[in-house]
Amino acid sequence: MKLTVTYQERYSRSELLLRSIFGVFYIVMPHFFLLIFMGIWGSILSFIALISILLTGRYPESMFEYQVQLLRWQLRVNSRIQNLSDGYPAFGLNGTDEYTSLEIEYPERISRGTTLLRLFFGIFYVILPHGFILYFRVLWGVILQIYAWVSVLFSAKFPESAHTFLVGTLRWQYRVNLYMGNMTDVYPPFSSKEEV
Amino acid sequence: MSAEKYVKLPQPQDLSEREKEDAMGAYLMMFAALATSLPLPIINLIAAIVYYYINRKKGRFIHFHCLQSLLSQLPTTLVNWGLLFWALQIFFFDNFEVDDWFYAYLGFAILANLIYFIFSIMAAIRARKGIFMYFLFFGSYAYHRVYGASNELNYDNEKLQNPKTQKVNSPPFL
Repeated sequence: MKLTVTYQERYSRSELLLRSIFGVFYIVMPHFFLLIFMGIWGSILSFIALISILLTGRYPESMFEYQVQLLRWQLRVNSRIQNLSDGYPAFGLNGTDEYTSLEIEYPERISRGTTLLRLFFGIFYVILPHGFILYFRVLWGVILQIYAWVSVLFSAKFPESAHTFLVGTLRWQYRVNLYMGNMTDVYPPFSSKEEV
Repeated sequence: MSAEKYVKLPQPQDLSEREKEDAMGAYLMMFAALATSLPLPIINLIAAIVYYYINRKKGRFIHFHCLQSLLSQLPTTLVNWGLLFWALQIFFFDNFEVDDWFYAYLGFAILANLIYFIFSIMAAIRARKGIFMYFLFFGSYAYHRVYGASNELNYDNEKLQNPKTQKVNSPPFL
């Protein structure tokens, strides 16, 4: 998996203010309204894919593509909500974005054994250890977001280390989601780095 | 019905893995209610309808299985709705008094669901192998609709067979 959110040399102050005051109305509400329905369909497909994996050992390719497109859409919105990118996130599964990218390799085969292991014990060996670390990363991320918000407002620059940290947290979350969603057999590393 | 009126059926080796998987997915929509954790009979039907409209243009093989899966859900959904309403009536209005007719209907509903489940799983496995399985009534209807020469739907994996002369624009005054 390759998740990137481009670091911009300069961030727009006006967009920051616009997002902070009205973002809930013109970004969050319209996108979330659609993402709820797309997410319900995504969870249905995810369950169907689980059965398909148990029957055939493969994640159906078109369902996989749908999940990837949905994740890309969520990433576009997330990066705006966290002020990691300027611009308005594109609607739709086929929407494109100049600042965010998410590439996930399609696995030809998914292990049935690992799938069953995830299903019954995933909460213990994935959710709990990763969730524990991610909880503190997210908490620290909120503080960094406030710091970055002030920084962008006064200097039009997003602190690069904060950007790296926030993108890293997103990357980590996506890796856990992919693994728990049976989209990969590779156990998510305890790292936020792009290359592990 | 003569054989000339129908498009040639594909053999398993003519179909891509993706087509087979998408066709299989149509039958697995019966698990949609489980996925949403809502035990309402309508969920599976809605999921099957959505899946049908998303996938039907991808290819005839997929269209056939989506249609057959969708149609075969209708009787089971109706039976399940009947059971749900009857059970709710007993719960709310009949003071939990259950008669023999209800038990008979319950048995019938369980049997109908079991038959539907077994046949759908069989059809899903066969679709995954690129093999056709025709359900009673619905199979021949779906075949007629999809593989009949009268079907004018243009499929993504076929050359444009029915190019219609589009006449959309016209001057404001004639």
